Amino acid sequence: MKLDRLFKCRVLACMMICIMAIGLMSGCGKSSGGNGASGNGKILFVITDVDDSFRSSLAEAIKTSAQEQGLEIDYQESGDSVDVQKEIIEQAAQNGYSGCICRLADASTALQMEVAAGDMPIVFVNNDPTSELLKDSKYVYIGSPEQDAGKYEAEYVWNKLGNPTSINLVIMKGEKGHSATEGRSKAAIKYFRDNGVDVNLVFSDYANWTDENAYKYMGILSSVGGKYDAVICNNDTMALGVVKYMQDNGISTKDIPVCGVDATADGCASVAAGGMQFTVLQSAEGQGAKAVEAIAAMVKGNSISDIAGATEDGKYIWVDFEKVDASNVANYQ
Amino acid sequence: MVKKKKQGSIRGKVLLSIVPVVVVLVLVLVAISTIISRRRLGDMAKDQLNSSITNQTDNIEAWMDENLTFFSTAKSTIEQLKPDAAGLQVLLDTYYDSNTAAPEGLYVATSTGGFYTATGSTHTESNPTDTQWYKQGLTRVNMDYGTAYQDADGRYVISASGILNDASGEIKVISADVSLDQISIIVNSGVKMDEASSFLVDTADNTILAHRDASKVGTDLSADSSAFMAGVAQKVAERDYNQTTIAENLVSFSEISGTEWLLISYVPTAVVYKSVTQLTTILVVAGLAAILLLVIIIMVMTNRLFKPLTAITQNITDMSAGDFTIDITADSNDEIGLMGSKVREFVESMRGMLASINSESEKLMEQSENSDEVSKTMFDASSSQAQAMEGLNNTVNQLSVAVTEIAENATTLAMVVSDTRDNSDKASESMRETVEISKKGREDMEQLGIAMEGIQNANQILAESIDKVGAASEEITSIVGMISEISSQTNLLSLNASIEAARAGEAGRGFAVVASEIGNLANNSSQSAQDIANLIQQIRNLIEDVVQQANASAKSIEENSDLIHQAIATFDQIYQNIELSNERLAAVVDNISTVSDVATSVAAISEEQAASADEILETSRNMVEHANNITQSSQDVADNSHELADTSQTLADHVSQFKI
Repeated sequence: MKLDRLFKCRVLACMMICIMAIGLMSGCGKSSGGNGASGNGKILFVITDVDDSFRSSLAEAIKTSAQEQGLEIDYQESGDSVDVQKEIIEQAAQNGYSGCICRLADASTALQMEVAAGDMPIVFVNNDPTSELLKDSKYVYIGSPEQDAGKYEAEYVWNKLGNPTSINLVIMKGEKGHSATEGRSKAAIKYFRDNGVDVNLVFSDYANWTDENAYKYMGILSSVGGKYDAVICNNDTMALGVVKYMQDNGISTKDIPVCGVDATADGCASVAAGGMQFTVLQSAEGQGAKAVEAIAAMVKGNSISDIAGATEDGKYIWVDFEKVDASNVANYQ
Repeated sequence: MVKKKKQGSIRGKVLLSIVPVVVVLVLVLVAISTIISRRRLGDMAKDQLNSSITNQTDNIEAWMDENLTFFSTAKSTIEQLKPDAAGLQVLLDTYYDSNTAAPEGLYVATSTGGFYTATGSTHTESNPTDTQWYKQGLTRVNMDYGTAYQDADGRYVISASGILNDASGEIKVISADVSLDQISIIVNSGVKMDEASSFLVDTADNTILAHRDASKVGTDLSADSSAFMAGVAQKVAERDYNQTTIAENLVSFSEISGTEWLLISYVPTAVVYKSVTQLTTILVVAGLAAILLLVIIIMVMTNRLFKPLTAITQNITDMSAGDFTIDITADSNDEIGLMGSKVREFVESMRGMLASINSESEKLMEQSENSDEVSKTMFDASSSQAQAMEGLNNTVNQLSVAVTEIAENATTLAMVVSDTRDNSDKASESMRETVEISKKGREDMEQLGIAMEGIQNANQILAESIDKVGAASEEITSIVGMISEISSQTNLLSLNASIEAARAGEAGRGFAVVASEIGNLANNSSQSAQDIANLIQQIRNLIEDVVQQANASAKSIEENSDLIHQAIATFDQIYQNIELSNERLAAVVDNISTVSDVATSVAAISEEQAASADEILETSRNMVEHANNITQSSQDVADNSHELADTSQTLADHVSQFKI
């Protein structure tokens, strides 16, 4: 009997040791996680500039949302300088700010900004750093999925042309190597391929976001005798250049759809006037609201997974693009 | 039947209890280490593969950009210089051989079928406007890479081409070829991970652009039906470029910027987890060695620790067999030493205890025998007491019967006395009637006296008759004396009766005789009264003679008047005497009444005595019962003392089993 008890005691002791060992190991494995509520509750909002109409709307949306949610936001502009941006963020971290909303001056410097921010969580907007530099509910990006913009353009074109099996397509791309350029262009082509459409790329080049380049390229295209059914542009500005060329050369913008992205004021005016046929809108209000919602959650140490549009890995919150064509353009002017 | 327990050693039990636990512990630790290191190494491998593929991608992009920049620079120069055909030839010759990636240099085709190439180049085109590079070049101003194709020499190449915008009005496309071999070299040598491989796919047409296996270059991705390649093809088709595991290979995908190319890098998981397997093996071996060492240590330690226990165990075994003559040595200073010394103390105290129990049990046995005898004696005594009590009981019973009889007798006596009193009352009544009659006689005499007084003067001759009357009176006097005597005799009888009653025994019956005597005496008294009446009749006759003589000698009666007065006085005397007799008779009746009361009391007392005798009987019965109980008890005591004697015998037997 006694031996039995002794045995039980030993088994128990050994189990305790096991549990402690496991506990130790798992304890070692854990880093100092948990970015709990800290700081003085103030949020830094740093943006390069608001010269762009979208960034301007975004900044306004963030300020408005913060006010609505009772969040104290400190707004600063860094210009295009990475150094200035880093300094502003460092300063904020030292002054005990709780979190940061940042429009990166350079997407590749995200890691530098994260280091500068110390314990502060960061919500990146408008300029997407690579996925590797983001971290679940700590460094997140809020934006609209670039590929959706291209997809929506292709979708519009294909439907507009009556779902043909082959298409002669012109793509006016933005800056080479830019994430939006790659994402939007590839997504458009993929859309057609996925729908069994044989895409004949009549022209596809980097017009560097400008209408002049687009206009010029349209001229060159014309000079080589290229025939095209539709023009898909990575932004509205280029689309406006294309429309201008077509109008200048008496080509119908009704039969050949020209699509852009961003739904800028000029773009929308063109859509309303029957120039461009389609554009998509990155919702500055939607992104601004989500950015504030995300930073509010993260400074409390909460996950962003409960926020609508959050990805499974907790790195992104996607705000859908809105489609703008002649039927609804009035809502966006 | 007691099941014989299997005898085991403590060492065995300690080993049995510790070794499994240690084995489990070691297994758990090995498992945890394996799992953790597997996860860590897996993560590391994933990171490494990612890093490798990113590096390769960067290399490829850099290499392509570098070449493209070179070509674009050349193109810009040509566009700016706007050379004629000869000038163009010079420029192409200038750039020839200055870029090793494009050994054939730059070349230009015109929409009219013109084809310019560097002088040293072997590149020829029969119909340049039909070529892929020309068609693709027409879709862009900035030079860019097109899709892969086999050139005239059968090599896989890709051309970087674009519209040469020299404002000549003629459509020109400038192009330069880079060999896929070169890209393959970058792809194959750029892997920064042991045993990892990479290949490059153009997702536009699923052509493999670069592969370690040169025969696969230029083939379709889906042409290879191996599980791995099929898996990759599926992922490519789904455009799912997340890191994954396909056919036991860890696979990473990376899109090459500016192209539709996809770099795929993979490493067999076996390689990734090779070090984990090694680590596990080492851990298992180390664990086994640790277990072995532990077993040896436990065996040695238990041997050392439990050696003294063996001696103590032997001693305890002897003790359990009843042998307390053992000697225990306890020389170690640990718990076992303490145990030995305590067992020794125990044995010593047991020895003392057993000895004293032995002597005590002997004493007990003697005492129980004594007690047995005492109880026997007590039993005998109580038996005789019970018998004696039985006798007493019988005696009391008889006494009770006798007392009852006395009571009955006394009752009978009382009844007899009562009857006697009734009879006496009747006698008294007769006496009263007699008194009444004598009173009437006196009145008559008084009337006679009055008459006599009338004749007393003339009745001298009545003197003789009067003398005779006197003689009759004397006789009455004697009768009265007789009555007096009777009453005295009655008195005597009543005395006798009272004496008898006082005796109260069998003399009760004799009293009846006395009562009848008294009846007779009453009769006699009555007879005497009759005699008196007769005598009085005679007196009246005599008086009649006197009257006749008075008639004759009226005058002489008067003379006798005094005598008549005297006669009246005599009558009074008689009356008084009778009255006296009556009173005495009443006294007799009273006495009889007293006797009756006494007899009644006697009867009551006798009944009470009978009741008392009953109580005595009951008491003696109880006493008999008690005596019987005592007998039973003493029997029990005798039994118990027997038992005690047996028990003490058993105890003595048990104790005698111990050797001390």
